[in-house]
Amino acid sequence: MMESLLLLAIAAYSVSIAATLIRALLGPTLGDRVLAIDAATYMTAVLFTLFSIYFREPKLATAAVSLALWVYLLDVYVAKYLEKGDLGA
Amino acid sequence: MLELALFVLRALGYALILLGAFASLAAAAGFHRFKDFYLRLHATTVSAVWGCVYPLVGTSLVALSSGELGESKWIVAGASFVAAILIFILAPTGTHALARGVHRSRTAHVVPFVEDALDRDLCGEGYGSG
Repeated sequence: MMESLLLLAIAAYSVSIAATLIRALLGPTLGDRVLAIDAATYMTAVLFTLFSIYFREPKLATAAVSLALWVYLLDVYVAKYLEKGDLGA
Repeated sequence: MLELALFVLRALGYALILLGAFASLAAAAGFHRFKDFYLRLHATTVSAVWGCVYPLVGTSLVALSSGELGESKWIVAGASFVAAILIFILAPTGTHALARGVHRSRTAHVVPFVEDALDRDLCGEGYGSG
């Protein structure tokens, strides 16, 4: 019974990631695209840990940490690019 | 007694995971229903805290209470909990920095543009209609 709940959550997260990435492709400005990529990456981090429970594979769960750090880096770099015009090293 | 405690932990974890699944579906709908950048900030924060932090804590609880993972349940639980704490701290910070950059570079166009207390020049004619 619990396994089917896990499958339901995996399906919901997959649909959400697909719908959010459509907004990332359509998004009229750069800010909209980055926001959509943010949300899709957060959902992907959760999806990886759900996969690691479903497939009983602990190595998959450690990817969530690096995804969280990567998307923060993307936020800060895009904010700096928009504000100053370059990345400023 | 221990079995009951493990079952409660597992049920709590699955409840958090299902809450996060619903919240992420709502955030994905919000990305297509909201009209401009500043409204879509709300969808992003919903998907960050409700759709990511709570289900990561939930997967941590599920991994701790499951006997099928063996000794490696500590790896899954620890990685999920660390990712939850990191996202809880870094997601609002990054979104705030992005909103500040977009506001200063004037790239987001808001259609009914009434008042901006930070930058009065944005309220000029012609800007809001574009």
